[in-house]
Amino acid sequence: MSSATTAANTGRSRKRTDKAGASGTAISAAGLVVLLAAWSASVQMFHLPPYIMPTPQAVWHALWSGLAVNPASRVGYYLPLWSTMKNSMLGMVIGSVGGLALGSAMAESRLVEKLVMPYAFALQCLPKVAIAPLVVIWAGFGDGSKITISAMLAFFPMLVNSFAGLRAVEPERLDLMRSLSATPLETYRIVKLPNAAPYLFAGLDMAMVYALLGTIVAEFLGAQQGMGVVITQAQAVSDVAGVFAALIILGVVGILMHAVVREAERKIVHWGERKK
Amino acid sequence: MNPNPPMVDAMPLSPEPAAAPPLIHIGNLDKSFAGGAVQALSGIDLDIAEGEFVSVVGPSGCGKSTLLRILAGLDGYDGGTAALGGVPITGPSREVGVVFQAANLLPWFTVRENVALPLRVGGHKGGNSENIEALLEISGLTDFAARYPYELSGGMQQRVGICRALVRNPRILLMDEPFGALDALTRERMNLELQRIWQQSGKTVMLITHSISEAIFLGDRVVVLSPRPGRVLRELKVDIPRPRNNDTIISHPSYPALAREIRHLLTGQGEDA
Repeated sequence: MSSATTAANTGRSRKRTDKAGASGTAISAAGLVVLLAAWSASVQMFHLPPYIMPTPQAVWHALWSGLAVNPASRVGYYLPLWSTMKNSMLGMVIGSVGGLALGSAMAESRLVEKLVMPYAFALQCLPKVAIAPLVVIWAGFGDGSKITISAMLAFFPMLVNSFAGLRAVEPERLDLMRSLSATPLETYRIVKLPNAAPYLFAGLDMAMVYALLGTIVAEFLGAQQGMGVVITQAQAVSDVAGVFAALIILGVVGILMHAVVREAERKIVHWGERKK
Repeated sequence: MNPNPPMVDAMPLSPEPAAAPPLIHIGNLDKSFAGGAVQALSGIDLDIAEGEFVSVVGPSGCGKSTLLRILAGLDGYDGGTAALGGVPITGPSREVGVVFQAANLLPWFTVRENVALPLRVGGHKGGNSENIEALLEISGLTDFAARYPYELSGGMQQRVGICRALVRNPRILLMDEPFGALDALTRERMNLELQRIWQQSGKTVMLITHSISEAIFLGDRVVVLSPRPGRVLRELKVDIPRPRNNDTIISHPSYPALAREIRHLLTGQGEDA
């Protein structure tokens, strides 16, 4: 639990250092050192057994033993990580494309909007991971159930964001396209889609995290491989340090994916609309 | 290169039938919003001849933008006629270029892409790229063709907007307070440039503006609209020779009386004729 928080904290402070510069990096590094020292000291001080709370050194050891192996080794993190990433990325792509497609249809057509909106909101309120056991029954313990649940979770943020973004076009820009007798497809492609780009990237950012979550949850319910399996196996033998190590891997992966999305947004949404 | 069409001086001010039918004809035009609750335009009569430059002034909310939107085919109307070249308006026309308030450029396109936009959409595939380059050239934008709108000043952005409106070579240019957001000096320079472009191209222009001096500087005629519901209070002929210039226009003998009359019409302080 606390290592996940640590990962989130470093992610946030890293974002801030973009502006704060070197001194900000130094401060957050110092904070991490203090945190690790306090963690280590309190485990020893309160004599916590390793199956409740391992020391940072034990976590590091577990992490290293999973990383410093042949990538094809069955005890390393690489194979399960590959499996988890593959399934969650596939699910994310399917879910995002589906969300964008339905979001676009809703934004373009009042009929589709009226038809879909109430159900979309109802489903939005449902905790979708609760459907996961049902999906496993239908799709089995293989990759199919992981991809399905990931796609389901990635679908909604993209649906909501693309709908909102495509509707948020300045009316003057639509007037311009109408005055040029542009077709609806031309207006969609040339004005609405670029206009919605910041919304789409925000949706993608969420879809990415949700897709990873979906795959892990599906793996908890039963799977041959994946980071979820690594975690449940470590838990079964009270290897708490191993659980922590797997969580750190997932945290780092999450931060990296977030960075990729932000970098892609910076490259693609280059016209400085956000500077206003 | 075309000299300013002399027919403007010969144009009768009253809608008395001229030899050539007017390019833009508006007769007894009515328009209301909110299901008839808000009357925006009431019985507008206005004819604009080919090659003429007409300024439309009126108090805020008098429906002058609505009038322009009807001519651009963006809004419908409830009664009367609105026709371009004798054909009733039913929607946007290729003969019309619209210059919007505050330029209205697409920020993800470069200057050249913005100017080229009308040639890419609405079944207007391909198009002549030399027209794009020529327009960029005459408006001094060639060096900025690869820049993005946010890198440009307000005046330059609006020049791009004017180029975009001209790129399909329409016969009519409709301008909706195009220089309203600019500072006074930039605005004067833009007025001068617009006069030059208009004199070179021989387009028919309707300019909506708040500025009395701009209306007189650019217009062959100034049409003054009343507060809502907008109707034509008066049409005033501006017989100041072209090309006009910002220094000499105010010292022209007919300028002060024109400006005063328009101002009085707008503020409703009686009509001193």
